[in-house]
Amino acid sequence: MAVTTAERRRAEVAPAERKPIRYYVDHIIRYVLLTLFALLFFAPFILAFLGTFKTNREITAWPPQILPELWRWENWERAWNVKIGAIENIFPRWIFNSLWLALGKTALQLFFSSLAAYSFARLRFRGKELIFSFMIASMAIPGAVTLIPGYVFYSKLGWVNTYLPLIIPTLTVAGGIFLLTQFFKSIPRELEEAAYIDGASRFRIYWNVILPMSKPALITFAILQFQAAWNDFIGPLLYLRRPQLMTLTVGLNYFKSQYRTDWSAILIGSMINAIPILIIFFLFSKYYTDTGASAAVKG
Amino acid sequence: MAVQAAQPGGGPPGASQSGKMMQRRETIAGYLFLSPYLITTAIFFVGLLLYAFFISFTNLRATFQASYEFVGLQNYVEALTDREFHKSLINAFWYFIIVTTLQTAGAIALAVILNAPIKARRLYRTLFYAPSVTSSVVISMIFLWLYLRTGFINYAFSMIGLPSGTNWMASPNGIFQNVVSLFGIDASGWPYFLKGPSVTWTAIMAMNIFTTIPTFMVMFLAALQNIPDQLYEAAGIDGASAWQQFWQITLPLLRPTIVLVIVLSTIGTLQVFDQAFVMTKGGPLDTSLTPVLLIYTKTLGEDTPANASLAAAMAFILAAIIFIITLIQRRYLERGTEQYF
Repeated sequence: MAVTTAERRRAEVAPAERKPIRYYVDHIIRYVLLTLFALLFFAPFILAFLGTFKTNREITAWPPQILPELWRWENWERAWNVKIGAIENIFPRWIFNSLWLALGKTALQLFFSSLAAYSFARLRFRGKELIFSFMIASMAIPGAVTLIPGYVFYSKLGWVNTYLPLIIPTLTVAGGIFLLTQFFKSIPRELEEAAYIDGASRFRIYWNVILPMSKPALITFAILQFQAAWNDFIGPLLYLRRPQLMTLTVGLNYFKSQYRTDWSAILIGSMINAIPILIIFFLFSKYYTDTGASAAVKG
Repeated sequence: MAVQAAQPGGGPPGASQSGKMMQRRETIAGYLFLSPYLITTAIFFVGLLLYAFFISFTNLRATFQASYEFVGLQNYVEALTDREFHKSLINAFWYFIIVTTLQTAGAIALAVILNAPIKARRLYRTLFYAPSVTSSVVISMIFLWLYLRTGFINYAFSMIGLPSGTNWMASPNGIFQNVVSLFGIDASGWPYFLKGPSVTWTAIMAMNIFTTIPTFMVMFLAALQNIPDQLYEAAGIDGASAWQQFWQITLPLLRPTIVLVIVLSTIGTLQVFDQAFVMTKGGPLDTSLTPVLLIYTKTLGEDTPANASLAAAMAFILAAIIFIITLIQRRYLERGTEQYF
């Protein structure tokens, strides 16, 4: 037995000496496969982007062509100026609504969630553990359960057709508070103690010491929340019932009807929605972890 | 005083008095910092849940109905015997089983094929993550177009010699029904569950699987990088085949990631809404009607008479189902995955 094992070891070592060639062949095959899969999965975006330059007749023609006959940049201009009923320039308005809602929401969530996280991570007081456990447990309640029956609740508050139901209830995000609490706990205490001895208030320490040291966690949180708000559909669909209030994701459905669908406008709107998120993801890719944290916070 | 109390270790005489003061101030500070969370949660989470729970025991139909009264469990009984609700739960069940299984298996398979540290990681990651960071509405819109009778999916089918005239978004026949019809069996009278998901619903599942595989694949790739090479080398020396190595080493070590993917996917798929709303509004013949879509239409009274109290009861039943399934999954699958939650 010992001999065979030794032989096997030698057999294992021998190809290792030829490593360079095998290494390169392996790598080339791997990258060819990787690129093919990447293109396959990215293909819908490429087709849709090319589709934005086609006429509506071309978009639905058989057989479908990958490239447009002509690059009709004017499609984008037309979509930009498209009217719904008497409302002009509906597209820029939707983009503006989506943008300020997502940015405003994210800023508020960052502030209020980090406040709570600071309290959980650093302050000692009775009831803290209980509240924290409650918060973790609350994350297990499916979102749909509170969201849709909430429509009756918000209607009675007079909040339908305002942005309030999309902003106020989610000023703090349980998943985000959890993420930030973990991060704050990892910051060494010495820095705060020095500031405390200098007479700084709790809020000053949170603002001047903790927040500046937590940039990576704050950026991760901000990106995930911006993405969630920018892509949100069911919330704006429920509560923004007038075209001029809508966000891009809800507005897009206006161009789809049983009788005549304006595919050109839909594809352009889809690209306007997708491109900023893809750019943000590309730029801040390192702040995403591959552990599903994104899905956990989003859910 | 504050200075002394802030320093750890033995304090001067009278420290207990100032210690109490400090503790009181810390408690006040703690609750002040938490107050935005506590207030919004008390009103918009606990309050809302209680209110919705209360509504589910009344006969409130339209939101601004002048008066309504307590009707006990009537809505729950009605929900549990409602044909549409049954249908939507069956649809969600297929969606959950098929999407969760195939996207997890597909992602693992791809990750194992591609397993290696990737250069140009950012570019590849952006390409692979694109479908999952993009709004589900945008994905649904693009696929609605690709699924047109004259769309690229049918075109791809025609290129490889498959039938290419399917009207994907308007095919209510179940896939099991279609399969047995190849053997000359007419299944049109079978119970809804046995007919299987409709062609339309299957097409929407395929879209979801296609767009989530790459994301989960990247997660599995990251997990594979953490498996030490020595394990495979040792197994190779002991004569284990690549297939055995996959089952004996790779899969057990991927377990935490697999559980995470399955639990997240379960919660998501059982609440599927966006895709069904954008692509089919539940049609054809309710074969893509989902529980959340049904709750939505019943709450708002879109295309159907409003029945907010019944919808609330359905929401709680759905929540209970999701809760029980994920509880079972965690009990039987979860080992050492707590760090993710």
